[in-house]
Amino acid sequence: MKKLLAVAVILAAGCAPWTQVGGVYKSESQNYCVDLPQGWMRWGESEHLLISRDGVLLQNIQIVRHNVKDPLKHTKRKLAKDMLPQEAAEVLLDNATSNPGSTDFRVLENSPVPIGGLPGFKATYTYRNRDGLKCKSVCCGVLAGEYLFAITYNAAERYYFDKDIETFWKIVQSFAFVKAV
Amino acid sequence: MKRLAAFLFLCLFGAGCATTHLPPVTQGITFEEDEQRLWLRSEEEERALQRSGVLYRDEALENYLNGIAKKLAPGQTLESIPFRVFVIKNPLLNAFCYPNGQIYVHTGILARMDNEAQLATLLAHEMTHATHRHLVKQFRDVKNKTAFLATLGVVTAPFGALGSLAYTLGGIGTVVSVTGYSRDHEKEADVEGFILMSNAGYDPEEAPKLFVHLKKDLEEEKRKEPFFFGTHPRIQERIDNYQVLLERRVKTNGQGIRNSEGFLKQVGEVILENAQLDLKAGRFKTAQTGAEKYLKIQPGDARGHCLLGDICRQRGEKDDLNSAKEHYQRAISVDSTYPPSYRGMGLIYYKQGDASRAQQFLERYLSACPEAVDRGYIQDYIERCKQGGQP
Repeated sequence: MKKLLAVAVILAAGCAPWTQVGGVYKSESQNYCVDLPQGWMRWGESEHLLISRDGVLLQNIQIVRHNVKDPLKHTKRKLAKDMLPQEAAEVLLDNATSNPGSTDFRVLENSPVPIGGLPGFKATYTYRNRDGLKCKSVCCGVLAGEYLFAITYNAAERYYFDKDIETFWKIVQSFAFVKAV
Repeated sequence: MKRLAAFLFLCLFGAGCATTHLPPVTQGITFEEDEQRLWLRSEEEERALQRSGVLYRDEALENYLNGIAKKLAPGQTLESIPFRVFVIKNPLLNAFCYPNGQIYVHTGILARMDNEAQLATLLAHEMTHATHRHLVKQFRDVKNKTAFLATLGVVTAPFGALGSLAYTLGGIGTVVSVTGYSRDHEKEADVEGFILMSNAGYDPEEAPKLFVHLKKDLEEEKRKEPFFFGTHPRIQERIDNYQVLLERRVKTNGQGIRNSEGFLKQVGEVILENAQLDLKAGRFKTAQTGAEKYLKIQPGDARGHCLLGDICRQRGEKDDLNSAKEHYQRAISVDSTYPPSYRGMGLIYYKQGDASRAQQFLERYLSACPEAVDRGYIQDYIERCKQGGQP
């Protein structure tokens, strides 16, 4: 039984779903494209894009498309397609605040920025993760039709956040819709 | 990992030893090694909690809570178990006690109480777990394999709905706060706690009322929480136990201490902050109940009126926007210097396309709060209003 388990673990390790990224990333199904940095790795092949350079716990960038009708994970508050960018940002921040996986949550900034040519938002916040590590995140989002597109950079506040914030902004600036919304 | 390894060791160590028939803690008691380790572990977890940022810091409130705990505990017990009460900033309905007498009460449960007698009921229940040594009994009771494994399961998987709070609590904290104790131990805590609160002069009629409130709250919001007080059967057991205890007892005709006024004065800020957390979690009804409760204590506080305005504005159901305007207006009338009331009004008018009024309120907001985190949006809205634009 132990041998079987060991073989399973080795096999699983051999199929690690990390792949190199770099250059234009286009998702027709999610209706967006971005320029991804060289030297970063992508986790899995799901529709949610998750990339990291040194490991997801140290820094990661995610791009998620969320249907406004779908519930959020940690708050019962709902998004709506006619919301102002500020209101959408506040719902996402409330969702993050209500996440039992983080403590000591503080919003540093919530301001308007254009994303993909539409009025969007940029919310910056800090929190402590389950290990007590202080993390800093920037979430840029935009409501487009039925969907909220969110590009989030999340990193350990000390050292790592500053290291890759420029990379994140390049991704945000490159974000574009494949088809007009 | 070190924490987990130590805790597993503790469990296995406890599994192999000694009797579960232990007398309650008395003056000068000597603990066996496994119980001493539990205490050391508890102290370690306490230090982690103190550093974690999850505690609600209010010295006056902590003094008040500790005063009640002191009143409840028999003198000789206090020498052996130095009870200390802390508050955790968390809207979940929970409270728990480490074996060494550290009691943690969540803001969520504190905010639901009506008076000191209900608080005394809760504290006395939790204190009994420590005085009657329920945790060490539970670890020694290896006959109950399923519960033992379940305990390990929780400790080895501290994620999911508990998230980092469970991780911060550590192994013992997770066991005492989440899985709770056996039915017999809980019943004993009800009985002995009831005696403690009655002997301290509190009105025993209040004992079941807290749990009736909690049950109603859970049903209204359809809350499914992993914590001990977050499950209906557990709460119903508490209500049933206290009802039986009340029936057996000589009626007091409401002569005991309730101290609603003193209690609400002490926990007012907790009620307000907890209502804000409930709003963030989208529990509008609970948030509204909390805000209204706060306003009964502090009717002249703009924060309470403004919170009601925020609840109505964000919920956005029929007539909510008109109600929100009324609440914001009331907030402005009781305190014209509180900026968020102007913000709320301005946002409603802005979305309704009333550029003139929106501009007036939003400018007032920014002049009162020039460093607001959302000033970028507000400046943008004001510019659009000046151009007569719609959102």
